[in-house]
Amino acid sequence: MKIVVCIKQVPAANDAKIDPETKRIIREGQKAVLNPFDTYALEEGVRLKSLLGGEVIALTMGPPKAEAVLREAISVGADRAILLSDRGFGGSDTWATSYALSKAIEKIGDVNLVICGKQAVDGDTAQVGPGIAAHLSLQQATYVMAIQDVTTESITVQRMHEEGYDICELHLPAVITVLKDINVPRVPTLKGRLASQKCDIPVWKPADIGAEPDKIGLDGSPTRVVRTQPPPARNTKSIRIEGTPQECAQALVKDLRLRSIL
Amino acid sequence: MFDTIKNKIYHVEILPPKQETEKLETDLENFANKYNRVMESGYYACITDNAMGHLSFQGTELIEELELPVYPEQIMIHLNTFHTREDLDNILNTCRSKGIKYLLIVSGDGSERLPKLQPADIGAEGVESVTSVELLKYIQREYAGAFVSGVAFNPYEPEDHEFAKMERKLAAGASFIITQPLIEKNPVVDRLLDRYPDVPVTIEAWMSKKIYLLSEAVGYEIPENTAYDPIATLKMLHRLYPKCGVYLSLLGFKTQYDLIRDTWV
Amino acid sequence: MIALTDTERKQYSNIWVVAEVLSGKIQPVTQELIGAAKELADARKSEVWTVVVGSGISEQAETLFAFGADAVLVVDDPGLARFNDELEANVLIRLIRKYKPEVVICGATSRGRALIPRVAVTLDCGLTADCTGLSIDPENGDLLQTRPAFGGNIMATIRCSNHRPQMATVRPRVMKAPDADPQRTGRIIRETVIGPDRENIKKIIDVFYNTESVVNLADAQIIISGGRGMKGPDGFKLLKRFASLVGGAVGASRAAVDSGWIPYAHQIGQTGQTVQTKIYIACGISGQIQHLVGMQSCDRIIAIDKDPNTPMMQMADLSIAGDVFEIVPEIIRQIPKL
Repeated sequence: MKIVVCIKQVPAANDAKIDPETKRIIREGQKAVLNPFDTYALEEGVRLKSLLGGEVIALTMGPPKAEAVLREAISVGADRAILLSDRGFGGSDTWATSYALSKAIEKIGDVNLVICGKQAVDGDTAQVGPGIAAHLSLQQATYVMAIQDVTTESITVQRMHEEGYDICELHLPAVITVLKDINVPRVPTLKGRLASQKCDIPVWKPADIGAEPDKIGLDGSPTRVVRTQPPPARNTKSIRIEGTPQECAQALVKDLRLRSIL
Repeated sequence: MFDTIKNKIYHVEILPPKQETEKLETDLENFANKYNRVMESGYYACITDNAMGHLSFQGTELIEELELPVYPEQIMIHLNTFHTREDLDNILNTCRSKGIKYLLIVSGDGSERLPKLQPADIGAEGVESVTSVELLKYIQREYAGAFVSGVAFNPYEPEDHEFAKMERKLAAGASFIITQPLIEKNPVVDRLLDRYPDVPVTIEAWMSKKIYLLSEAVGYEIPENTAYDPIATLKMLHRLYPKCGVYLSLLGFKTQYDLIRDTWV
Repeated sequence: MIALTDTERKQYSNIWVVAEVLSGKIQPVTQELIGAAKELADARKSEVWTVVVGSGISEQAETLFAFGADAVLVVDDPGLARFNDELEANVLIRLIRKYKPEVVICGATSRGRALIPRVAVTLDCGLTADCTGLSIDPENGDLLQTRPAFGGNIMATIRCSNHRPQMATVRPRVMKAPDADPQRTGRIIRETVIGPDRENIKKIIDVFYNTESVVNLADAQIIISGGRGMKGPDGFKLLKRFASLVGGAVGASRAAVDSGWIPYAHQIGQTGQTVQTKIYIACGISGQIQHLVGMQSCDRIIAIDKDPNTPMMQMADLSIAGDVFEIVPEIIRQIPKL
């Protein structure tokens, strides 16, 4: 089975401090790490390969330093990895990103299954998985919490929704996005990491994947960010309630109603 | 453990390289150099386990891959609850096969990248979550006689909770205690020493000048420009706590290592 | 991508809301979005259409006029009983091409997040997910979409000037549902599923329902969180009851997790999860900085504690000084009365 796992490098969230003036989190985002949701996608790909045989290829689009997450993918069992990197890809929104990734998947050829993590913790849009499915006209299942069966023709998955889950059978090749419920990702070993240092990771540019220039980067992005601003200031006026438990409860319940929770 | 106090042997904390490092070769070399230096000095190398939840390599992996010498009386491995059962057993089996016998068992810091032991994984019943207590019990049961395990004590958390936890930890099989960093005489630690005169207690000394980083640990704000002399504090701690071992965190291997040779008198 | 010409762009009009249908029932986010759509339609002097796709859904579809829909476009077909990504996408794509709406909004639910990106990519148009604000630019009529980025530390405004329709998803309970006006009427447009829609679609083999509602921290609109003040696992059972009555999730401070009272999956803070929920109710949590960094970005922070002077009580927008073990049961008692 030929499996492509699409992964992303995102800013690390660990080094948070609170700015004493704005009371907002300052993220020291110099360090970049593998998107946590993608570890589940990689683990599932590697797990399927160990059951069914085949190949797991890790794929990412990003700046040159994104190579680090591809090496990490190899250190947990991906057979090889490909980096899509070029100035031309810069400024891509999810349309252009899913386009580029799908062109790369076409170039890899004969792919049976594409696995993505549920969403990226920096952009958080969860759009790229279905976007790839659309570009490639493949069936898709998002929010996959378990894979029940795989044959040469199909994959049967448990797809979660707000009230439970459905069991869906998709025709291969297909695209799935996976939830944290699906497995426990293995932690990379030093041995694996050292081995991954030796791997050659090709860098593909737009021309390598036959990408049309007006469909990648800023030109390929129908959405534009026109403004960014700090969020509305936290209302610093604090209200204190005291009294009998009944009075306190009443005040809270009233507050929840006001905010459409009840 | 009482031997370390009698023979004035420092515990020296060494952090493994983080997995996100962009200079792995250099970091591995630095780790090996620190480790070897500590071995040669006759001190204890105390290797942390994903400190602060930062995904790092394991002490046992480093010892194996870098072929570092193992002196059982000079190594302590931290072990926390953020592992799969399989990984946990791998680490413990590696320790046992190499003769590493001192473990510091802590609940640990989690993160999105780290798995977590569930009660069912280690046969813990009647608990919602696996803490150092359950991990200790597991080790005592499955690896009986193989290890000497210690636990942490935090004098900056509410005292009754900490003492209640300590009772449970000792009942679960802990045989020594290491405290959070002390920067002055600490009445809670004094009470700990009174309560458990037969348990070796090692106090942690903060060897970085950046004392303000301890604000979160001690629970009160230490201004950023507060002057702090780690070596002077270390000497003071020896004077105040002559019955305790000392655990050095953030020791400057370039600037401070040679200076500590004569501080424990 | 090739931009639409002015002429082409002007062919698109009306604001569409794609109704959220889950297990055969129209969900409240639909009414909320109709409310938002009405404001956009007023600014554009156009209509609000609601697209309802499902099976046996026609009667429910007609209830939507009361909330502001001018037209309801119904596709009622047995094949649409369960959410089938490819089938619904094919239908919606075809209808959008036929009727050319200027704006399409949909709930950012498990269904919406699967459906709308597939539609947007196929139609070569822009999509902004999880918008917290939607408005019309008075200068050029474009849809302005606002959403949080970088963990809630900035608000980004996004525009899609050159492509139509402009698509956006919005999470449930972000917009306010308008009051129902039963006098309101509108017209029904019936469409059907056609042969090509059913090509290359998945099979849905079986369906399972949760026995109890499980809300996870990342998606919860309200989080009831406990700390050392909850004294033990029983305290968390109490919070769980409160949470289930308000459709919320249960969170915890590190102290509670380290004491073994609640699983680590519920931990909020520096070494646990970061949440950005609408309402965060902290019960018996002192508010050490390692915890605060995990919930600072919540819209409204409410604290209940015996100690009136903890960092959490001081930071909270609403602080209630009292015994959680008396107040929370009282809250639970008062809620069903509404």
